[in-house]
Amino acid sequence: MGIRLYSEPELKDPVMFCGWPGIGNIGIIAIDTLRMVSHAEEFGEIEPWEFFDPYKVVIRNGLLKELLFPSNKFCFRKLDGRDLLFFIGEQQPAELGRRYAEGQKAYQMANLVLDVAQRFGCRRIYTSGAAVTQIHHTAGSRVWAVPNSEKLIPEVKGYENTILMSETEGRGEQGVITGLNGLLLGVAKKRGLEAVCVMGEIPYYLEGAPWPYPKASKSVLEVLANVIGIKVDLNRLDELTVKVEEQIENFLDALFRNEAIPTQFKEEIERLKDAERTRLGPITEDEKKKMMEHIDELFNQGGWKDEKSV
Amino acid sequence: MSFSTREAGRMRNPFESEGQPDLKNPSLIVGWQEDAGRVGAGVIEYLCDKIKAKSFCEIGPEGFFSLGGAAIRKDVALFPRCTFYCGDRSDVVLFGGNEPEFERFRFLHTLLDVAEHHCEAKELFTINGTVSSIAHSSERKILTVCNQSQFQNELFGYGPEAMTWEGTPAISSYLLWVAERRGIKAASLWTTVPFYLAAVRDPRAMREILTFLDRKFTLQLDLSELDKEIKKQDARIARLRQEDADIDKSIGLLEARLSLDEQEQMELAKRVTQTIEQDRPSLST
Repeated sequence: MGIRLYSEPELKDPVMFCGWPGIGNIGIIAIDTLRMVSHAEEFGEIEPWEFFDPYKVVIRNGLLKELLFPSNKFCFRKLDGRDLLFFIGEQQPAELGRRYAEGQKAYQMANLVLDVAQRFGCRRIYTSGAAVTQIHHTAGSRVWAVPNSEKLIPEVKGYENTILMSETEGRGEQGVITGLNGLLLGVAKKRGLEAVCVMGEIPYYLEGAPWPYPKASKSVLEVLANVIGIKVDLNRLDELTVKVEEQIENFLDALFRNEAIPTQFKEEIERLKDAERTRLGPITEDEKKKMMEHIDELFNQGGWKDEKSV
Repeated sequence: MSFSTREAGRMRNPFESEGQPDLKNPSLIVGWQEDAGRVGAGVIEYLCDKIKAKSFCEIGPEGFFSLGGAAIRKDVALFPRCTFYCGDRSDVVLFGGNEPEFERFRFLHTLLDVAEHHCEAKELFTINGTVSSIAHSSERKILTVCNQSQFQNELFGYGPEAMTWEGTPAISSYLLWVAERRGIKAASLWTTVPFYLAAVRDPRAMREILTFLDRKFTLQLDLSELDKEIKKQDARIARLRQEDADIDKSIGLLEARLSLDEQEQMELAKRVTQTIEQDRPSLST
């Protein structure tokens, strides 16, 4: 198990951004867009075979030519001020069929990522994911930020369109960041590194949807671009947001029309549309569970497949 | 350049061995339980019987299987087993087992650890069935995949066709890839299985593979039991054709190398599977 580096760039106090797939692919889209617009160069990878199964084999004329695994790449970009490091993973290392990274493999991967960060003198890490909450899909997404140290709170409070866990409705100061996003914060803390997880808000009824949620990715990207002081053209994400929103509308219309979800859930979603965030009471875990089971089931049944894909 | 994580630990040996078998650079033949036409498991079972092979090593299930209880099939509790066998041939080692549910990379390395260090195997073959839209009465074909071109040349004289394919890898393809990384030459033998025999034993497909292995290793196998099984299966399907005009028509189309629609395929597979499984005890849950 190890890391392969194709080159060893000399970097000045780099900040690292980590992205992998998750709910609405909010984090990976934000981080990968940042990687693309900053023209970061690939310079290494984590060998994938101990973490992932192969997804494709290529056999030609009786010879096994290639076995393809999900990639986990490191990229860098030298800037005038602070240099950038990226880690982009195509998959989270989940064990025993679990949905999110958890257990020994996830811990090993988090350590490998931070081994590279420290090798290049990085002391600040950003991870990104989804904040599942009570908003309507037509509302803008805020960014929830969770630092791994109290001393980062004043800085994080200064980020645009960003709130802390204690400022979210009905949650107090508690919550859980699942998967590698949370694990990396913890492992970084153990190593004395600063880390912040920035999560874009997504409506809870879209948690299991098969589409990306670019509106939240855009909010995250704006925060990260400000952190490193670069301007990012967000037109592509805006275009994608329009398409996805249309997709969501069509999907929900079809559900309501066919009475595929109980009226109570329809009213719940409709109520979110006009409500001010701060006036909404917290949804109970039981209510959320019932609704999610129902909607997830519809997503899993492929009820959305007749809709145009994004 | 590469460096390993400070968190990386050493893997323990997840297999148990009962003594050192008397082997001379054998070829390892691997068959999996979960296989179209039950070809892999059937061939290993047949070979075990013919070369009087006994188990000498097992890969333990911990970490590779869910171990959430025991499945019951045909009134018998099942448990995953991954076993190496050797018999009165010092040039052949057999492995039969379930495909691991988890940690497939580590499992395949464990399998190769036994092959390389315990058996000093010089090469390995995997036995597999691949679903095809042929009729049950058609001749079976063997398609091969090798992990080294030199090995492919060595097998050329035995007649199997070269496979070309892209898609989700089977455990056997994964094993070939891991073996190649360790410098072990390996080949997968894929024999065609009519789609409507995929869920039951396909003795014709097994016979095709056994004929290949017989030639390769001069095993002098007696295949008469399989011939009887083929005759019996043919007779069962012939009866079904007489009883059901739709089934007769579907098989007739396949014999004429014409295709069936999805509904016809499903119906044919269901009826043939039911007919062949009829004599066996029912599935308990």
